[in-house]
Amino acid sequence: MAAVELIKVNKRYGGTQVIADLNLDIADGEFTVLVGPSGCGKSTTLQMVAGLESISGGQLLIGGRDVTDLPPKSRDISMVFQSYALFPHMTVQDNIAYGLKLRKVAKDDIARQVGDVSKRLHIDKFLDRLPKALSGGQRQRVALARAVVRRPGVFLMDEPLSNLDAKLRVEARSFLVKMHHELRTTTIYVTHDQAEAMTMGSKIVVMSEGVIQQAAAPLVVYNAPANRFVAGFIGSPAMNFIELNYADGHVIDAECGIRLAVPEPKRAALDRRAVARVVMGVRPEHFHVRPRDDRALVPPGSCWTIDVRQHLGHGTLLDIRNGPHRAVARSGADDDTLDDEVRSFAIDMDKAHFFDVASGLNLAL
Amino acid sequence: MTELALRLPASRSQRLWRLLPKLSGTLFALLIAAVWLGPILLMVITSIKSNADFLAGPFSLPSSPTFKPYVDVWSGLGFDHLLWNSLVYASLGSALAVLLGLIPAFALARFPVPGKKLIFGVLLTGLMLPQQTVLIPLYDTLRAMHLLDTRIGLIIVHGVYGMPMQILALRAFMTTIPREIEKAAHLEGATDWQVFWQIILPLSVPGILVGYTLNFIAIWKEFVFGLVFLNSEANFPLTVGMLKLNSDRYISVFNLPAAGLVISQIPIAILFLLTYRKLSGGNFVGAVKG
Repeated sequence: MAAVELIKVNKRYGGTQVIADLNLDIADGEFTVLVGPSGCGKSTTLQMVAGLESISGGQLLIGGRDVTDLPPKSRDISMVFQSYALFPHMTVQDNIAYGLKLRKVAKDDIARQVGDVSKRLHIDKFLDRLPKALSGGQRQRVALARAVVRRPGVFLMDEPLSNLDAKLRVEARSFLVKMHHELRTTTIYVTHDQAEAMTMGSKIVVMSEGVIQQAAAPLVVYNAPANRFVAGFIGSPAMNFIELNYADGHVIDAECGIRLAVPEPKRAALDRRAVARVVMGVRPEHFHVRPRDDRALVPPGSCWTIDVRQHLGHGTLLDIRNGPHRAVARSGADDDTLDDEVRSFAIDMDKAHFFDVASGLNLAL
Repeated sequence: MTELALRLPASRSQRLWRLLPKLSGTLFALLIAAVWLGPILLMVITSIKSNADFLAGPFSLPSSPTFKPYVDVWSGLGFDHLLWNSLVYASLGSALAVLLGLIPAFALARFPVPGKKLIFGVLLTGLMLPQQTVLIPLYDTLRAMHLLDTRIGLIIVHGVYGMPMQILALRAFMTTIPREIEKAAHLEGATDWQVFWQIILPLSVPGILVGYTLNFIAIWKEFVFGLVFLNSEANFPLTVGMLKLNSDRYISVFNLPAAGLVISQIPIAILFLLTYRKLSGGNFVGAVKG
């Protein structure tokens, strides 16, 4: 096991800066997920840690050792690729044992270690098969076994579940987490799937355009997003953003009849920054549809027209609008709204976020 | 009923119209096949005719089929020796060409080799050079190395002459091997040489077989190098040895050259049958994705 430190790491392709001064500390035994949209630099970062991409500037430490210029084999790492990258001409046994053979481990030890890991990953029945005779899930476990068997200091995983179907993916997700609990090996996991990031990581690193937007525990990222990008990327359906005026401790859109009180301590933060206009972020589950007869409790300005209802079985998603503002609200399975109906919604203002209109920064942090 | 009866002929003609492109395509393919197979069929028929039978009707079926032309040409020309020579030149010459081509192909496929474009240009030029233009320099080189009229000399010539094609073909094949397999090997601790030897080479077997087979056929059919660089009959390949069939001794004999040609094509047919499955590929199944 080993800690990983990226210190002012840069990556340039010709004149194009892909990663700019990236700093990241990954503690020994931590399961860190790099997450972000395509082209955000997460895979490039992982490839630099692996040694498959050169580092244009900065320093990379693994287990306190400077490995910036070392080849992959000298970094004490192993990697699971999105495509598994199994050796198609070798049996499962030979695939798993390949790294051990290269390290000239004794034959008996290789057989024992391969046996152990293949049993643990439930692939011990396929050891003499070629990869082409395995299903996607089995191939993925062989790739994992190959990575695990050497007991490296760091596991690197590049979207290892993205080729599995939805059911297998959920199973594999919990399997990986369980495996991490057992082995406690430092893991860097790359995905574009925010659900994977939320459920697997002990730390989430949200990236965009080669820059870390936020690195924190999953619930911290979810409940206290550093900026509008993070807020919009983490969570499904995405957070709703409503641009409003701010005055007297209220967010206001007079034309749409919206006037909502900002609770403390967010109100103090907005007052301190003396903003006149903010972007309010509200997650779908923090919109609450009111009963039809509950008019007395309706605060002014929270009437929204229902455009589309999406029944999910365990709940309902409502596409709603109020003037130029559009949002998605999450309602219960017993939702009684109708298409084009105008209903009042309560917004849980304690859970609302406020972002700077220009920079997108969370104003309350 | 009436409606149905009226509709039936129309649907039949519609079906015919739909079949027309398919039918014309099949007919065209048959025509092409006839153009290709006609001479081969004529050669096989001629080879089992007596010469008198052939002269009586060159395109007719044999009146009494005979394998005597095969026996005559085999014993008269020393066909076993010629076949053996051709086999040696084709198998070893192709092997040398592949061996010489493998590492440059790997380097060009996977490494940022300086002057890559120039190297490609030179290789392509090598492919386009007619044999005749290199005859004199090759002759001089072989003479200087005391390799004229030797088997090893001709094998080296075939190997070197086939190398550019092998480099280009193998490089093209190696670029199709998923890079992630190679990256995975590096991460497991393999050196560049181990990646080449343990991963790329076994995965390149179909590409190697294609290159080897094509080169084998090219050398098997090759005539000019054998004619110019060899003098001793003992070293002649089939193509040069069969020249005798056109000499005065057999001037009006047609069945013997036909029998000789049939025999000479058998090894090529066997090689193709043996390698056909490998040539059809499918080697990377299971390597990447689900």
